[in-house]
Amino acid sequence: MEGPHAPRAVPGFELVAPASVEEAIAALRAADDGGATAIAGGTDLLLDLDDGRLAPRRVVSLRRLPWRTLDWLDGALTVGATLPLRSLEDDREVRRRLPGLWQAVHAVGSVALRHRATLGGNLGRSAPASDLIPMLLALDAEVDLVGPRGERRVPVDDFVRASRRTALLPGELIRSVRVPEPRPSAYLWQRVRPANDISQIAVAVAFSPGRRHWSIAVAGMPPRPALLPDVARDLGDGAPSDAALTAAAARASRAVPITGDQRASEEYRRRLVGTLLTRAVRAVPFEGGRPL
Amino acid sequence: MTETVAHLTVDGAPADLAGMPDDERLLDTLRWRLGRKGTKEGCRTGDCGACTVLVDGRSTLACLTLTREVDGSDVTTIDGAARDAELSRVTRAFAEAGALQCGYCTPGFVVALAGLLKERGRAAPLEELLDGLQGNLCRCTGYAAIVRGVALAREEAP
Ligand SMILES: Cc1cc2nc3c(=O)[nH]c(=O)nc-3n(C[C@H](O)[C@H](O)[C@H](O)COP(=O)(O)OP(=O)(O)OC[C@H]3O[C@@H](n4cnc5c(N)ncnc54)[C@H](O)[C@@H]3O)c2cc1C
Ligand code: FES
Ligand code: FES
Repeated sequence: MEGPHAPRAVPGFELVAPASVEEAIAALRAADDGGATAIAGGTDLLLDLDDGRLAPRRVVSLRRLPWRTLDWLDGALTVGATLPLRSLEDDREVRRRLPGLWQAVHAVGSVALRHRATLGGNLGRSAPASDLIPMLLALDAEVDLVGPRGERRVPVDDFVRASRRTALLPGELIRSVRVPEPRPSAYLWQRVRPANDISQIAVAVAFSPGRRHWSIAVAGMPPRPALLPDVARDLGDGAPSDAALTAAAARASRAVPITGDQRASEEYRRRLVGTLLTRAVRAVPFEGGRPL
Repeated sequence: MTETVAHLTVDGAPADLAGMPDDERLLDTLRWRLGRKGTKEGCRTGDCGACTVLVDGRSTLACLTLTREVDGSDVTTIDGAARDAELSRVTRAFAEAGALQCGYCTPGFVVALAGLLKERGRAAPLEELLDGLQGNLCRCTGYAAIVRGVALAREEAP
């Protein structure tokens, strides 16, 4: 057994796979000394371990927890934290009732990646260019957490803080994500390569038929994906007129959180955000001012 | 530290994983521990698809998978192509289409496509199959021959 990646005799961490939520929380807490980290699909965590950003003594696997679930109840969708993204993508009701969420999930990595990557892991990593967080923001989704001090429900907007920073307390886990209602929605992104690349900018739009209002979120630059409530208001309470859409796109291009970095200049992003917003809103199906 | 020995079936045979460290990647288990070198390492960061294997029939990046995390699974690699109908079919189609030059990316493409055919069926639209292969990179062919290979694998009589 030779070569650059031949198995090593001494492992860098111990892996435990608790069979219950209580044990998982205890396992995360009990390693306070050397640090413990949860692993779901591992598609973010293993990269952080490889580049030395994280070096926990213990990794707590969530694979035996009963969280690979997907439930529709009274119109609300609840997705278990460890459900592989590919299973979320394969649910016909998700594609029909939350088309923007389907598009966002489909945009993540590749098929083989989505067979292991999870929604819980995406939120746990909290990447500025996450494809799922902007859509969850536009859908007013909430995160259900469970930890040493019990359970709590937090809006995604409060959960996500910055890159690798969330509202999770020590020992706390994401159990599921709740999307309150089906919404006509769309998700559009701009990248150099369609798969396994990070969006230079992405726009999530959703219309709430009950409250008759739009939600718009952008992602792709630090510190985190953000809602643009003023832009959403420009769109009015139904299918927007061309003038309203032009005003919204112009406002989005001026929006504060847009910055430049190595992936795209600020100028390019400002142009793109208006274009993607216009296309995304037009992609949401309306008939006679009512969502289809 | 290792409480139990992990159990894996690789291409139909039980794998000997005694003494395996907890942090071992499936790619290293296959290539170095089990000596099955058909599965390739390209990037080790999930970007190229060269390491694709099937875990319980689903395409999986072996470089981004801890072996212990798939304890109890049935792993199929390119080395087991002869005993898997979809893998044999795709291998034949790629050979017929001349869908390779250096061949380094080929195991990943073949396994990923076989996985898609298992998931979506042989009647799946060509577009969907090509979309499902976006995570596989080839530095040689320019993809045209690979696209022909995919079309052949889809059409070829069962
Ligand atoms: C090649 C490649 C391409 C990618 N492309 C995209 C892309 O296009 N779009 C995109 O958004 N992302 C992309 N990603 C990032 C990643 O795949 C996703 O963020 C994925 O959803 C992470 O899920 P996971 O289960 O693999 O997370 P893991 O790596 O298992 O976990 C990530 C973090 O979250 C924590 N965590 C996991 N589950 C929980 C839980 N239930 N409770 C609390 N904390 C938890 C972990 O401790 C860790 O800190 C890509 C990654 C790679 C390697
Ligand atoms: S080696 Fe696994 S994706 Fe490149
Ligand atoms: S044939 Fe050489 S990388 Fe694809």
